Amino acid sequence: MKNQLRLLRTERGWSQAALAERLGVSRQSVNAIETGKYDPSLPLAFAIARLFELKIEEIFEDETEAPDALAAE
Amino acid sequence: MSQRYEFKEARRRYNRIAGPLMAAYAVLCLSGSALWAFFDVEFKLVSAILALTICLPIVAVLLAKLRYFEETDEYTRLRQLRAFARAGAVTVSAVFIVGFLQLFELVGQVPVFLFGPLFFLVYGLATCTDRWFGKAA
Repeated sequence: MKNQLRLLRTERGWSQAALAERLGVSRQSVNAIETGKYDPSLPLAFAIARLFELKIEEIFEDETEAPDALAAE
Repeated sequence: MSQRYEFKEARRRYNRIAGPLMAAYAVLCLSGSALWAFFDVEFKLVSAILALTICLPIVAVLLAKLRYFEETDEYTRLRQLRAFARAGAVTVSAVFIVGFLQLFELVGQVPVFLFGPLFFLVYGLATCTDRWFGKAA
């Protein structure tokens, strides 16, 4: 899943450790999310969105294709 | 599973208990073995108490680790549990392989003690390799 986390973080001049501290997770977690190695759970994604005062979909981009039934609607 | 503690607090809680327990294990291991060897403990009950007392810190460390898995952040939990599972799979496989080799008298007696360090070795290596090469989700 693509995301804008690195961009948002650097815009605010925060280090990965500083962002991790704000979110209450490890620095490795922030790095893994930024590099796309790990997709966060919904609660963590909401926490990130709240911190940056954005909607989840403004930070995370879903790359999976919609199932046919949904795409047809 | 929701995050009960912030990552740093969870790690602090683990380190606070794991450090002293490992130190206790080292002391008990040395003193217990010395007692058993030098004083020629005759009673099986005393030997059993001695052996089980030495094991207690290791059991407590494993329980502390399980608590850490529950308390830490989701990414750390995923990595740690994955490494723990791999170590468990390798160790149990080794127990079965060596066990059957012994049963068919193809190898001599292998000390059971070796399987504990094997577990922790694979656990440590799996944690590192996951961090270096793995995509965690």
